[in-house]
Amino acid sequence: MIIIGEKINGTIPKVGKAIAEKDEAYIRDLAVRQAEAGAHYIDVCAGTAPEVEEETLIWLMNIVQDAVDTPLCIDSPNARMIAKVFKYAKKPGIINSVSEEGDKCEVIFPLIQGTEWEVIALTCDNRGIPSDVQTRVEIAKNIVEKAAKYDISPERIHIDPLVMALSADNSSFLNFVETLKQVKAMYPTIKVTSGLSNISFSMPLRKEINRHFFALAIFAGMDSAIMDPLNRDMMTTLLATEALLGRDRYCRNFSNAYRKGKIGPKLEDRKK
Amino acid sequence: MLDYNALTKAVGELDEEQVLQMLKDFMAANPTEEEAQKAVAACQAGMTIVGDLFEQGEYFVGDLIFAGELLTNAIDVLKPVLGGESSSTIGTIVLGTVAGDLHDIGKNIFKSMAEAAGFKVYDLGIDQPAANFVAKVKEVNPDIVGMSGVLTLALEAMKDTVDALKAAGLRDSVKVIIGGNPVTKEACEQIGADAFTTNAAEGVKICQGWV
Repeated sequence: MIIIGEKINGTIPKVGKAIAEKDEAYIRDLAVRQAEAGAHYIDVCAGTAPEVEEETLIWLMNIVQDAVDTPLCIDSPNARMIAKVFKYAKKPGIINSVSEEGDKCEVIFPLIQGTEWEVIALTCDNRGIPSDVQTRVEIAKNIVEKAAKYDISPERIHIDPLVMALSADNSSFLNFVETLKQVKAMYPTIKVTSGLSNISFSMPLRKEINRHFFALAIFAGMDSAIMDPLNRDMMTTLLATEALLGRDRYCRNFSNAYRKGKIGPKLEDRKK
Repeated sequence: MLDYNALTKAVGELDEEQVLQMLKDFMAANPTEEEAQKAVAACQAGMTIVGDLFEQGEYFVGDLIFAGELLTNAIDVLKPVLGGESSSTIGTIVLGTVAGDLHDIGKNIFKSMAEAAGFKVYDLGIDQPAANFVAKVKEVNPDIVGMSGVLTLALEAMKDTVDALKAAGLRDSVKVIIGGNPVTKEACEQIGADAFTTNAAEGVKICQGWV
């Protein structure tokens, strides 16, 4: 599972406050802790007013790159903003994100042509987020075909099928899985990703729904997740599921994580 | 020059990458057989650490199985400079799951740990009648006979096996250890075994004390 650490996002109140107060130590700490917890990419999202987004993103990118070697995931709803700050990334990471809205693909794809950059592609377009599987699959296909024109192969694309709230759409998870299967049938090397919390919107015990969603999504073949690697319960679900699926030889990743106190009771709380 | 203590520590920590890198560097320097024997001993000392950590609940069964595999791999790397197998053997064990019992996970863990500790192990397999133990003991003249079982009825089969060894006049030439879920001090006495354990790492330690 490719873990994209989601903690450095200005829409999270504490992070927004740290950004407003230029609290570099706070951001640095989030980067280091996420990397130590096993994040493969560190997402940076300014979440500020458009006029300060550029300087904020550059500020965040510089702090993260100074603190850890983990590559960035540059996150902005504005493709042109990503293009502006792209050059400040020291090594290839992930662009978060493109979709079929406007000219996002046309702005981003030339930028990452001939590089090792990967890209998250949301299955939405100018009409919004589709409610059915078929439109999602069609959008994914359109994006992959556009990417091919810039020599961007499917394995560099993480399709995010935009899972809907289960409370509103009872088939939400099933549609996610069906989209995953159809997209992978067309492009076996493509990656499928998702956030882990949309599914539980407006439900009680959200974290339980999120964890079970995660386990089932891993089983279904999800390749990457935009998640909080500091969430011990979620990491437990990940490690347990990977072990159950025979992807953890002798369950050593699970056992090692337990020994190091990354899952289960914290080391200081365990009886000697 | 290989740091034997560091090698022992790396094996104890099950740091596969580090162990194999150290041995690769070691082999690149054209070591003597004596040095290679020292490296094997260092790895075996590492296995003792693994056993201890398992007893303390720090390591789990998966770690033990992995440890056995790691040691096999390590010795494979050293093999070209190691002489005959005998030089690194500290004792011989005839091992099997007794008649009527098909379980082998515990037996296999004990086997890989015993081999890792330097024993030559003849593994008969599962569901082995007393006669097979007797025949193998006659053939290879081991130091130790190890009997494994998970079912309660295995205790009866263990007793039959010890009796058969006695009848064949072999009982006094070997130490007998029994292992598995149902074994207890009382069962051990009744069966006529020398030692019992429910813990593979502890069992290996007992065997080491005998040779």
